[in-house]
Amino acid sequence: MGVRPPAQWSKSLNRWLYIRNKAGRSFFTILFVVVLNFFLFRVLPGDPARQGIRDPRLTQEAIEAIRVRFGLDKPVINCIQTVNPLRFGSCEVNPLETQFFIYVKNLTRGELGISFYYNRPVSDILGERLWNTVLLIGGGQILSIIVGVVFGVMAAWKARTSVDYGALITGLVAWSLPTFWLGIILLFWGSSHGFPIGGKATPGMSSYPFMTQFTDVLWHLVLPTLTYTIVFMGEYMLIMRSSLLDVLSEDYILTAKAKGLSTFQILKDHALKNGMLPLVTIIAINLGFTVGGVIQIESVFSWPGLGGALFEAVSRRDFPILQGGFLLIAISVILANFIADLLYSYLDPRVQIE
Amino acid sequence: MSKDHFLEVRGLKKYFDADRPSFFSREARHVHAVDGVDFQLRHSEVIALVGESGCGKSTLALLLMGLEEPTEGYISFEGRDITHLNDNERKGLRRKIQMIFQDPYESLNPTQTIEEIINEPLVVHGIGNNKIERDERVKKAMEDSGLKPAEVYLQRFPHELSGGQRQRVVIAAALVLEPEILLADEPVSMLDVSIRAEIINLLAELRITRQIAVIFITHDLGSVGFFADRVAVMYLGRIVEIGTMLEVLEKTQHPYTKALISVIPVPNPRLRHERIILQGETPNPIDLPSGCRFHPRCPLAIATCKVSDPPFITLSKTHQAACLLLVK
Amino acid sequence: MSIQTVEVKAKVPSPSTNFWQTYRQSKLGIAGLVLLLVITVIAIFAPVLSPYDPKSSAGVGAGQVYNPPSAAHWLGTDDAGRDVFSNFMYGARVSLLVGFFASFISVGIGGTIGIVAGYYGGRVENILMRFTDTMLVIPDLPLIVVIVALTKPSLLNIIFVIGIFGWTTTARMVRSQTLAVKSRKFVLRARAIGAGRRHIIRHHILPLVMPILVVQAVLVVSVAVLNESTLSFLGLGDPTALSWGQMLNYAFARGAMSTGAWWALVAPGIGIIWVVLGLTLVGQGLEHVLNPRLDTHHLMPGRPVVVNHEASGESENPTEKNPLLEVRNLSINYINEGKPPARAVENISFTLKEGELIGLVGESGCGKTTLMLALLRLLPSAGQIVNGQVIFSGKDLTALNEQEINAVRWKDISIVFQGAMNALNPVRTVGDQIAEAIIKHMPGFPRDQRLQERVIELLDLVGIAADHKEHYPHQYSGGMRQRAMIAMALACNPQIIIADEPTTALDVMIQAQILELLDSLRKKLGLAIIFVTHDLGVVAEICDKVLVMYGGVTAEYADVDIIYNESRHPYTQELLKAFPDLTKPKKKLSSIPGYPPRLDALPIGCRFAPRCRLAFARCHTEQPLLQKLNDSQSAVHIASCHLLEVSK
Repeated sequence: MGVRPPAQWSKSLNRWLYIRNKAGRSFFTILFVVVLNFFLFRVLPGDPARQGIRDPRLTQEAIEAIRVRFGLDKPVINCIQTVNPLRFGSCEVNPLETQFFIYVKNLTRGELGISFYYNRPVSDILGERLWNTVLLIGGGQILSIIVGVVFGVMAAWKARTSVDYGALITGLVAWSLPTFWLGIILLFWGSSHGFPIGGKATPGMSSYPFMTQFTDVLWHLVLPTLTYTIVFMGEYMLIMRSSLLDVLSEDYILTAKAKGLSTFQILKDHALKNGMLPLVTIIAINLGFTVGGVIQIESVFSWPGLGGALFEAVSRRDFPILQGGFLLIAISVILANFIADLLYSYLDPRVQIE
Repeated sequence: MSKDHFLEVRGLKKYFDADRPSFFSREARHVHAVDGVDFQLRHSEVIALVGESGCGKSTLALLLMGLEEPTEGYISFEGRDITHLNDNERKGLRRKIQMIFQDPYESLNPTQTIEEIINEPLVVHGIGNNKIERDERVKKAMEDSGLKPAEVYLQRFPHELSGGQRQRVVIAAALVLEPEILLADEPVSMLDVSIRAEIINLLAELRITRQIAVIFITHDLGSVGFFADRVAVMYLGRIVEIGTMLEVLEKTQHPYTKALISVIPVPNPRLRHERIILQGETPNPIDLPSGCRFHPRCPLAIATCKVSDPPFITLSKTHQAACLLLVK
Repeated sequence: MSIQTVEVKAKVPSPSTNFWQTYRQSKLGIAGLVLLLVITVIAIFAPVLSPYDPKSSAGVGAGQVYNPPSAAHWLGTDDAGRDVFSNFMYGARVSLLVGFFASFISVGIGGTIGIVAGYYGGRVENILMRFTDTMLVIPDLPLIVVIVALTKPSLLNIIFVIGIFGWTTTARMVRSQTLAVKSRKFVLRARAIGAGRRHIIRHHILPLVMPILVVQAVLVVSVAVLNESTLSFLGLGDPTALSWGQMLNYAFARGAMSTGAWWALVAPGIGIIWVVLGLTLVGQGLEHVLNPRLDTHHLMPGRPVVVNHEASGESENPTEKNPLLEVRNLSINYINEGKPPARAVENISFTLKEGELIGLVGESGCGKTTLMLALLRLLPSAGQIVNGQVIFSGKDLTALNEQEINAVRWKDISIVFQGAMNALNPVRTVGDQIAEAIIKHMPGFPRDQRLQERVIELLDLVGIAADHKEHYPHQYSGGMRQRAMIAMALACNPQIIIADEPTTALDVMIQAQILELLDSLRKKLGLAIIFVTHDLGVVAEICDKVLVMYGGVTAEYADVDIIYNESRHPYTQELLKAFPDLTKPKKKLSSIPGYPPRLDALPIGCRFAPRCRLAFARCHTEQPLLQKLNDSQSAVHIASCHLLEVSK
């Protein structure tokens, strides 16, 4: 409460401070996720490390290797020998020899453990798959934003006409579609219309020239990307529409009109940037949700990405992949969010620290 | 101090943090919103606090209401120190000092009926033994505020009333506690000219019928000219001139007051006159000017104004001003 | 962590008395309600309504697998030969159950965190919101998948996990709404009355936060339904509870695709869409009630000008020689569907000469802004010019097409709007916005350094230093923004500037600065100015002529001296008496009883009659015509009052 200094007094709270603040928060969130990721897999009933040791697929040597790698003979953290059940142990153990420290130490080296299923380092498997997911999200995100913005602008501009109502209802229905179901339906339709039924490439393609391989991958991408675009376009369209409706009833639009600018000039130079601001915020907030959609799409289309890896890991009880995959996804989302914040500060000169 | 100064303010200061001291900058800067204010108020007296936005007049009102804690200074009411009070003591005092606000659109809860709004203070303070007693009081407050007949308004919602009517509801909700002091923070500046007169007349009437003292805060000296007993002109957190209405209007001493008076619009083209228009705007209250705070905008500033802070010069028993030109 | 609504604005809904009436206007909201009601009935009465019991496998033979829809099985059979239609009905139970309970948990947690953080502020808020922001960024579905994979996949677990991770958006929204409510003056007033925290939260915060919470709850249910079906589809559902997601999981994994059994895939999907769409539509309906949007915006096409000169009658305006602008009998209506049009402005005439400053005075709602917007054909889409002409340099502006009027706007006539904060685009620099007008209307103007110099010159003209050119409007103070607006209005050397309440909401000193600026510009540049205000005092300082408007019609129109010293219309006289005059201190102000008429409820007779002390019978039945008064040395003196007819 009380008097707050108006904006012009506090120019010192400039963009640099804003960026520093946001970077600090992202770092803090990553730390939180790292800790959460450790305890999630140690506290919940399905304690993966111990379960992993019992996995019949592993040889005795492999079990021993896991033991050493995770320090399973060591306490989880200092003073607590094991968390399940909670039993307090002696505090004489060196904190540097606890399971948590070993986990963090392994992380800094990029070691995420060995997949039970593949018997290969998790980081290798996820590393390959990360790029497939980026390809899918990247394409889908760009397309859905373009389609959403274009139709959102049309709907707002032609408010209370059939264009508007059509866009509104399409948007609402698209946002209500379960992603995986839409994927199934498109797959069902596509498989009888010559589209591939899944995966990233036709088997045996590796012997063909690069261009053929490339078009083959694109061909496999069509249906997953279409699913992604339809699901997210609806939401972006609704947000763009309502934010632009707000902008178009602002006084500065009337000023622009009084200046004699044409409708197109007003939309382009005065409405679009202002109307995009809420969209950027929502895109940032929704990145986590986006990943949820990708898990569904990748499992329906057997697309070899991170989400698909997570899905397979669940059914195979491959906990190292699950743990590593979750960490990688969470960190990617946090970083992408940070980038969105930077973009926002570039778009809106008014940004300040809360 | 004499007994009829039933509200007294001495050396009152309120600083807000401009930047919070952080890991990176240890030094905190302050907004000097109110920076040493002294005045007294007598029974059923009307005093006008006049100044441009940013002069600290609204913060002063919040301090007097106990809605902000002063950084320094002393406030007494009927001889009792009320600078810092606990919640219970403060609540008791609220029955004596009430406030009305600038924007009657904002200061009423849109989900409450007029009856609920005016009855609320009675409920909060547990006044009245039964509903009949409370209804009686609500009705009286409404009719004293010009909402006649009260029955017409009781079940309405604020959005069904006009600006002037809403301001009357705010006044009624203050009167229902039968206060002795009414703080009015720009009560008419959001209203049309034709409605302003009604609200000002209402306040003038109340101080006669109910013996209420009024502290009238405004940026427009013209709007209170005819009904205030005394005027205090504020600039950058301080009072620069204080005196009776006539003294301030006709024997104006401070250059800032002179400028403020000269720009009051006169509703007659035959009386168009030279206006003293100060250039620029009130400087920010974080980095205060050296010496006299007014010197950067003062048309009469001399060299010493930049270095020495003017003392209060007593011109008559009731008239004081802070200007180096008055030092002989 | 992933609900998508546009941040509900902190507007305050009107009381709930007419909730249903407003809700009913939203067709989408009604459709949603119907969808939800039907599916709820299906879910509750599934055991009664369903033709088969999905749990019993009695009568299921090998030939029953993936049978297409038939009379016995309306939606065919699934991989185990069970009836898809019955499964569908039971599936509704699981979806709704999980959705509502999970939402209950989420909204409970989110609402509490939001209100506590918003109301208490300080350290409490800091910690809570840091935590919320952290949780918001962590992708929720992967987290839920991991947790459900690690725990027993029972329905209860799923409800809890979905509920516990779905509160962040609610917390953020509720917090911002709480903050918005808390900062409003009525909360401050409640504190001033002596109300404690609990009273304020219960009586002032909660009633205004509740609506947001309800909308949030509805949307959270839909997200929970989607999350549950996704989990089930991924094989993480409760195996004992047959949900739509699970039906899809079985069908997808067990050959529905390859056998072409589309019904086993389509039916459960329709169920999910049904519920989620229903909830979303109800959310739209609630939004319609809580956050009513204006039906119009500034780019909607305006209504065509109707000019009916026969009805306009004889112009009462004396013909001045070569006026720059002549407004003749201008009338404007607001068209409301299903209601008679509101006659916002009626029969207004005035003239403006070069270098002249005319004051247009009236209370708020008297139609003065409507009149100004009509001059440049900037009326909102409900507004329509129904009569009259606006003659500017020989052209009738009401007869121009959109392109022709665009060429007049700003180039010849520009406007300074009230409240320059909102009249400048917040995300473009002030200099850029000034330059824009020059580029538009002076195609020959070089776009190099000279353009920048011209912008600096314009800013200098209104007293703004050149280094503010690159600043954004929010970095300007209120007075500076108004100056910037004036600089922008001067950009194309117009002949006329319309200043619509340019000094309202400014302090007296800043107001005086702006007035002085306008007056000096007029003298320096030979500008003609139309100055719109509700303040007679301001007008007296600078105007040459005054038009006093009341309820959309001319009350009186004359030279400024006549208006102040020899006014004839009772309204003008009353208005002057209500004005505090420091030259005569200690005089009691007289006030005008009552309030100006609403445009949709105009009196039949004289519009001022209900408030007029001198009104007589005829005033209440017959609208007075404009009278030309020849009693003074003024070039023109017009008033509309029956009293003046009598004296004539």
